[in-house]
Amino acid sequence: MNSPYSKIWMRMAVAFCLLITVPVAILVLVTTNSLRDAAIDKTEVSLGRLIEHKKDVITLFLEEKEDLLTMLVGMYPISYLGRQENLDKLFIAVNKTGSIVDLHVIDSSGAQVAYVGPYAQSLVGKSYYNAQWFQEVLIKGSHVSDVFLGFRNVPHIVVAVSDPLKTYVLRATINSEQFNNLLLSSQIGPHGDSFIVNREGKLQTPSRAGLTELNDEDRLLLEHHEGTAIVKREESVVVHSDEKATTEHFDATSIVTRGESIVATRWVKDGQWCLFVKALIEDSLGPFYKVRNHVILVIFGTSVVFLAIALLFINYLLQRIEKEDRRRVELGHQMVQMEKMATVGRLAAGIAHEINNPLQMITSQAGWISELLPEEDPEKVKNFEEYKKSVEQIRSHVRRAGAITHRLLGFSRKISAEKQNVKINELVEETISFVEKEAEYNHVSIIRKYAEGLPETMVDGPQLQQVFLNLLNNAIDETEQGGVIEVRTAVEGSKKLLVEFADNGHGIKPENLQRIFDPFFTTKDPGKGTGLGLYISYDIVKKLGGNIKVANRTGGGAIFTITLPILNLSSPR
Amino acid sequence: MREFNVLVVDDEQEFRDITVKRLEKRGLKVKGAESGEKALEVLEHGYIDVVLLDVKMPGLDGIETLRRIRSMKPLVEVVLLTGHASVDSGIEGMKLGAFDYLMKPIELDPLLEKLVDAYEKKRIHQDKIEQAEIKRNMSKPV
Repeated sequence: MNSPYSKIWMRMAVAFCLLITVPVAILVLVTTNSLRDAAIDKTEVSLGRLIEHKKDVITLFLEEKEDLLTMLVGMYPISYLGRQENLDKLFIAVNKTGSIVDLHVIDSSGAQVAYVGPYAQSLVGKSYYNAQWFQEVLIKGSHVSDVFLGFRNVPHIVVAVSDPLKTYVLRATINSEQFNNLLLSSQIGPHGDSFIVNREGKLQTPSRAGLTELNDEDRLLLEHHEGTAIVKREESVVVHSDEKATTEHFDATSIVTRGESIVATRWVKDGQWCLFVKALIEDSLGPFYKVRNHVILVIFGTSVVFLAIALLFINYLLQRIEKEDRRRVELGHQMVQMEKMATVGRLAAGIAHEINNPLQMITSQAGWISELLPEEDPEKVKNFEEYKKSVEQIRSHVRRAGAITHRLLGFSRKISAEKQNVKINELVEETISFVEKEAEYNHVSIIRKYAEGLPETMVDGPQLQQVFLNLLNNAIDETEQGGVIEVRTAVEGSKKLLVEFADNGHGIKPENLQRIFDPFFTTKDPGKGTGLGLYISYDIVKKLGGNIKVANRTGGGAIFTITLPILNLSSPR
Repeated sequence: MREFNVLVVDDEQEFRDITVKRLEKRGLKVKGAESGEKALEVLEHGYIDVVLLDVKMPGLDGIETLRRIRSMKPLVEVVLLTGHASVDSGIEGMKLGAFDYLMKPIELDPLLEKLVDAYEKKRIHQDKIEQAEIKRNMSKPV
């Protein structure tokens, strides 16, 4: 495929590629994005459900402990529980699950009345009156503390209630470990996280991701959570649950998609703690990736198939276009050729008429003289014989001129198209003999390369000879002194004869190669060439069913190649 | 060779004159006409055996003149003479009933030969007609 077509091919291929790949890429992008969004939405929903559930579990757990203590306080007065042995019995009775570490009985003055638990020694006689939680219990009736290290340096939660008359306080330390376990099941995916913070942002349960402090982003979530109020206390900003916040506010769950993860937050215990559940988006996208890969594979496969079809189509189309173009160019050439022929025909006809008429006059007049001459007395006319001779010469030259005009017009060609068996080598040799003298005079040598045993062919010999003569004369004209003309004959295939005339002259300028066979085209000096020689040669060879081509030789000079069909009597022409 | 009547039609006076002169010298009775119209006039009034007709003429051209001659005097033979290199006009002339066509330049001898041939044809044709008429007359009851 040559360059303009490959350029078109490239353009079409690129266009088709874009046409197919761009929509497909957009489709893939949109599809995968929406799939991803759907997956994230689903994760968010399940996260919301999970956090709700966990909140219930935590609330239930704490309420259960509180209820237990409230029940005990309601059932037993301080006079009963203040006795160590009663408390011991009670502890064993209520602590089947082992979730309560110890129990304190504290009177309204803050002094510890009785204690059951593993740390009895270090806690005996301690006063809690000034502890904040104690004051809160006295006011509100119950208290659930944040996680604190306490005297034993172990994180624990304290639940404390007072009896309705505020005569004493029953305080239970809850196993922090058990509490933490409640949150363990609230994780989504291997990289999820869940923990509880208090209002100040301190972690109440260990973070699975190993956080020891709330990071800035999480803190922001906490600060902007519904039902959150920010209170400035001295120099530091402290997050506080809103005084005006209602249960409704604390019930709100906030789900935020933040970069790589989704974070659900929710107040628990009426705004005392905040529950964080985090899920890494990547973890929940497993099924999405599977679907996405499937979609991409299908779309990619389809587009490859489409592309292949498009390319095949382009190839087919271009082949058709190229074929059509070539056909049109050929047709164009033929049309041009035909037009040329017609023009030449008309021109020649006009010229012929104008020349033939005076020629007729000359021959008539000369004939008249020659007819009248015999009536003259040769004795009286001094140059009688000269006149006679001169008249004959005039008539002979008119005949010659007439022959030329007739030949030029193709008149005689049509009339005398007699074909006979011709031996090409002999015909060429005979033609060379015509020009050998002139070649010698110009110091041009003619090299003969005849193929032996060439088949004879039915052809109009004199016509073909005129072609050879034309080519040889041109070659001699174009070759400088000491030049060489090569004449070669050969058989091409089994049906064609080849005659080549090659010279080592100046060759033909590329721009003239196209026009060399045009009628009246000549590079010779004005008056020296009619521009009809090669045109007539071309015309003759075409009429004989052959072909004539011209090319420049690589070593300089031109080469004319004539191919002729091998015809004999048995082959119909 | 019998003497017969020839009409030379050509718009070029010099050619007409010399042809007339030369043919007369060869013993023919020759008249000249410078146009197709003139030729038809001559044909109507005089006796002509063969017409030598130039194809390319101003006014009524050779082919049209030929057509009219054929319809006016079907027995008169016409030889076309053309300086134009058109085989087509020659063929057209032949189709219209011309005896033959000749290319300029032509020498007198072949021209004369052609005229004689044309005359011979005309004569044979005429003889046949005459004989047919005699037969017809003879078969008529007197």
